[in-house]
Amino acid sequence: MTDSATKGLKPKHQRLVLLSLALVALIGAGLLAAWALRNQASYFYLPSEIISEAPAPDQGVRLGGMVEMGSIAEQPDGTTIRFIVEDGTAEVPVSFTGIAPALFVEGSGVVAEGKMGADGVFVADNLLAKHDENYMPKELEGMTREQVRQQVKATLE
Amino acid sequence: MRETLDMMDFVYAAYAICLIGTLALTVWSFATMRAAEKRREESRRK
Amino acid sequence: MHGYANPARFLKIARWFTMPLLVGGLIVTAAALIWGWMSSPPDRLMGDSVKILFVHLPAAWLGMGGWTAIAIASLVELVWRHPLAAISARAVAVPGAVFAFLCLASGSIWGRPTWGTWWVWDGRLTSMLVLLFLYLGYIALTNALAREGSSSRIAAIFGLVGAINVPIINRSVVWWNSLHQPPSITMGNSAIDPVYLYPLLACVLGFSLLFGGVVFARMRAILADAQAEARLRRKAQKAELAQATPGDA
Repeated sequence: MTDSATKGLKPKHQRLVLLSLALVALIGAGLLAAWALRNQASYFYLPSEIISEAPAPDQGVRLGGMVEMGSIAEQPDGTTIRFIVEDGTAEVPVSFTGIAPALFVEGSGVVAEGKMGADGVFVADNLLAKHDENYMPKELEGMTREQVRQQVKATLE
Repeated sequence: MRETLDMMDFVYAAYAICLIGTLALTVWSFATMRAAEKRREESRRK
Repeated sequence: MHGYANPARFLKIARWFTMPLLVGGLIVTAAALIWGWMSSPPDRLMGDSVKILFVHLPAAWLGMGGWTAIAIASLVELVWRHPLAAISARAVAVPGAVFAFLCLASGSIWGRPTWGTWWVWDGRLTSMLVLLFLYLGYIALTNALAREGSSSRIAAIFGLVGAINVPIINRSVVWWNSLHQPPSITMGNSAIDPVYLYPLLACVLGFSLLFGGVVFARMRAILADAQAEARLRRKAQKAELAQATPGDA
């Protein structure tokens, strides 16, 4: 901004212009930093990312995705479970020994903390359940969101 | 093995913290306002 | 706009609004929470813990909305030099911090039985914790400035710079893989079943009224404090003058 551009303005407007410019620059810088952080700031890797850029065998990582339908299998020892985490394009088998959180179910999100084994099985030492954005009573389970919306509309009308 | 926790325990805890916090905030803001306005009246009289 | 710059005029309005907002806020919040508590069935996955939504989400929105208000008031203060802007920004800080804290506390309590952990350092939780620290820093700064009687311009700049965190909190679950779920309520769209959504919106209304009442009460307190202090200082000066020149008194 040159002097001649601001000369004609009232001080009030001059402050407004300068502050707006500063604000735009600040927000731009912040968003840019956030964008640059997008990989580092992610809490977990998706199965496709883990497969394409396999972590070192002894490196602790987090794997997150959906628990594949029908994939949870309890092992004979009673405390180990095996299941498959998928993200729509890739899937990774996971083995976990311990107590799973209450929301750990098939078809729902999960974050597994552990290491990638040499045999391609992810060995988790901790499981976290990830909830999705849908809040739905038990009775409406199995209905799609569109069906629910229609039923609600019908009861309201 | 899946964890079996009583969800209601956590619901009570969350509500207790939020209700106490909200009520304390309301009472504190009201009390400090009354005290400050009283002090202003006193400074006017003296 | 400068019509409300006069504190006397503002006080007249504030006096009228404070009690109805505080009492109305308490009543609406209580009614909405009872409504939500009684009417909400267990969630398909989260079970009874879904009830925590009714306190968690209003607290989160008000925590973020509070800093948005601080940023707007700071801008008004810096550009228009409106005398009430600094006071309103200061008045929002404490309720904003309290709700940011309640959001974190209720979220943590909610996370344990559902996710299986009290806390994780994912984008959403971390940026929300940053917001709480920003509030605490802002409160400390404004108190220090007021005590020294210095200009609140530094606080206003802090309020504006800190605002960058608000869109980061909002977008964190979209930009980064996080344990926290993506937003349930977006522009004109809700993934929350109406059986939860309507009481939830009532809770948001109730807590917001309460928030407004607290902000008015805080503004009145800050104004009254400043006026009382100014008057006492003037009196002290007058007394000093009278002592220095006894003959004139």
